[in-house]
Amino acid sequence: MAAVECEKLCPEWGCTDPSEYRGVWVVGELDEEAGTISEYSLQLLTPARMVADKRGTWVEGVLLGYDRGALERAAREMIYHGADRVRVLYSERLKPYNAEVYAKAIARTAERYKPEVVFFAATMRGRELAPYVANTLRTGITADCTQFDVDKDGNLLMIRPPFAAILLAYIKTPNRRPQMATARPNVFPTPPRDESRRGEVVWEDESLLEGIRPRARLLKVRRLERRETPIEKAEYVVAGGRGVGTPEGFRMLEELANLLGGVVAGSRKAVDLGLIPHEKQVGQTGKSVRAKLYIAVGISGAAQHVIGIRECRVVVAINKDPEAPIFRHADYGIVADWKDVVPLLIQELRKLAAERGRR
Amino acid sequence: MVRVVVGIKWVPNTQAVRFDPKTGTLIREGVPSIVNPHDLDAVELALKLRDRYGGEVIAISMAPPSAIKGLEHVLGMGVDRAILISDRVFAGADTLATSYVLANAIRRLGSFDLIIFGQETIDSSTAHIPAQVASWLDLPYVYYVEDVEELGGGRAVVRRRLEDRIEWYEIELPAVIATAMHSQQPRPVRLSYKLRAKTERRVEVWDNKVLGLDERCVGLRGSPTVVTKVTWMPEVPRKRQVFRGDPREAVKWLIEKLREEGVLPY
Ligand SMILES: Cc1cc2nc3c(=O)[nH]c(=O)nc-3n(C[C@H](O)[C@H](O)[C@H](O)COP(=O)(O)OP(=O)(O)OC[C@H]3O[C@@H](n4cnc5c(N)ncnc54)[C@H](O)[C@@H]3O)c2cc1C
Ligand SMILES: Nc1ncnc2c1ncn2[C@@H]1O[C@H](COP(=O)(O)O)[C@@H](O)[C@H]1O
Repeated sequence: MAAVECEKLCPEWGCTDPSEYRGVWVVGELDEEAGTISEYSLQLLTPARMVADKRGTWVEGVLLGYDRGALERAAREMIYHGADRVRVLYSERLKPYNAEVYAKAIARTAERYKPEVVFFAATMRGRELAPYVANTLRTGITADCTQFDVDKDGNLLMIRPPFAAILLAYIKTPNRRPQMATARPNVFPTPPRDESRRGEVVWEDESLLEGIRPRARLLKVRRLERRETPIEKAEYVVAGGRGVGTPEGFRMLEELANLLGGVVAGSRKAVDLGLIPHEKQVGQTGKSVRAKLYIAVGISGAAQHVIGIRECRVVVAINKDPEAPIFRHADYGIVADWKDVVPLLIQELRKLAAERGRR
Repeated sequence: MVRVVVGIKWVPNTQAVRFDPKTGTLIREGVPSIVNPHDLDAVELALKLRDRYGGEVIAISMAPPSAIKGLEHVLGMGVDRAILISDRVFAGADTLATSYVLANAIRRLGSFDLIIFGQETIDSSTAHIPAQVASWLDLPYVYYVEDVEELGGGRAVVRRRLEDRIEWYEIELPAVIATAMHSQQPRPVRLSYKLRAKTERRVEVWDNKVLGLDERCVGLRGSPTVVTKVTWMPEVPRKRQVFRGDPREAVKWLIEKLREEGVLPY
């Protein structure tokens, strides 16, 4: 960047020279208890690879934690899924996870190695870490992106649906590095796993943590029982909307979902009516699902809803209004009252399941 | 005694924004603005703490002058003091430049125990501002907070809810917290409070003459991110086959199709 441009910028931000920044980072998220890396971090290796190839640079994973074995396994997974190198920051002082400590450590690491791009998954953890890291680095950040590209000047294009899910905004950070974004879980496919891929694992030294002291101390944790698969991980999702209307209706959807080995979800109207909890809401302000089969029952198909089903393989809609927009977003639609169709569907599937049981 | 700062945003009621498929435009005219609903959780938590410990709640908002209405609304809920941070040079700010102005305004307020924000806004839903303000002021921060269970002696115990667990943190004060969505039941506005807020012109307005920030660091100029263009979201290609008729036939048809697709588990 030319010096003149720098003078136009906020002096408190400092000045960064894009040519000094190389490499695309994916900050990996560990599930400490399971000792595994989050699927959503692996998904990010897909856009990271694409951006790195377009920029003629490499992909690096970044991992932080206190369990050596888990970090080692996670680093290998990142390499099998496309990372060229993984930087691991391992320390007892990273126990337990602490947002401020982790964010500051990531920012320090970025200051040392100067990546041009830093991606986080927009999980609960990613959403609390990424903006703190960005601010520490005095750079911009774009939340919840669903697409990425590179423009002709080599800037990262961060694409997200703002406001109403009908539009896409293209955002870039032309004058600052790194360019940072969080990406929405389940919109990018996990790259294929290839155990023959080789990459470098770099164990960083603890000096990166110097002087960083936790000011929030975890006192205790209570695990919440979770019996079912979360909707964002389910292969079969049966979703109900206002058209289903009642708890009895949702119990029938539950029966259908059980027959398929899947889960029930809902539209925001269903959540507002108290028919389903918010964590099972599909859409812009809920979750994106990537089911093999998505069955929308009594859902009109508002833009803010269907944005959450873009990655589903087959979409079925049952709605009594032939004009309902959901039919434009479905592969197979049935115009009918769901009360006439769903019981029959359950019956038929039960027969099929029994037949297979006999075979 | 506690001193709590709460950040609120005045946003278009996105529920009321409609799409005109004929002209292919968003209908925003006449769309009323509201206080970001998730910020009412923050206001309620702040008021609860003040009611419990005594002290003062100060609401701040960076916005155009029309947001005075939003601040009057929270004065109506019982907030003690409300400040609108408003200046042409602040316009067009991204989250970095917004949080910079908010952090500097908060600094001017002197000492405080907590800054409470909502989880996210319904118009931009970035959830950036709380962490960014914490970063500017170098304060500890906790997201997804459902409640503050203890407060005093320079520390607080907060409870936060994640997808699969509940965590309790002891946090040094001052600190920043972002409330979990739907975690409070915001109290209603009291008409007498609101009326008083209006007639006494209780909302203070701070422009950049008050804050004295470098114009290169605020608004559009201070924003590292740039929106380069906005397009329509492309539709996912779907088969769009629709069956109308007898439900029995419909179900047969559907099962046949799902078989062909190979998506049935049996
Ligand atoms: C900023 C913003 C974010 C939003 N985020 C989300 C989000 O994340 N997720 C989401 O889902 N929505 C979201 N919404 C709301 C969205 O715009 C719609 O209001 C909502 O999706 C509608 O829910 P619905 O389809 O269940 O209800 P409705 O739109 O009321 O549709 C009900 C449908 O059921 C059909 N029906 C009625 N009775 C029957 C019957 N007996 N048999 C068959 N069909 C029947 C009707 O024909 C109708 O099509 C958001 C809105 C905004 C402004
Ligand atoms: N302009 C603003 N003025 C005051 N507070 C704000 C402003 N913008 C956002 N906030 C606060 O920051 C939270 C997160 O907002 P956002 O990062 O925009 O999703 C909101 O819930 C508000 O509490």
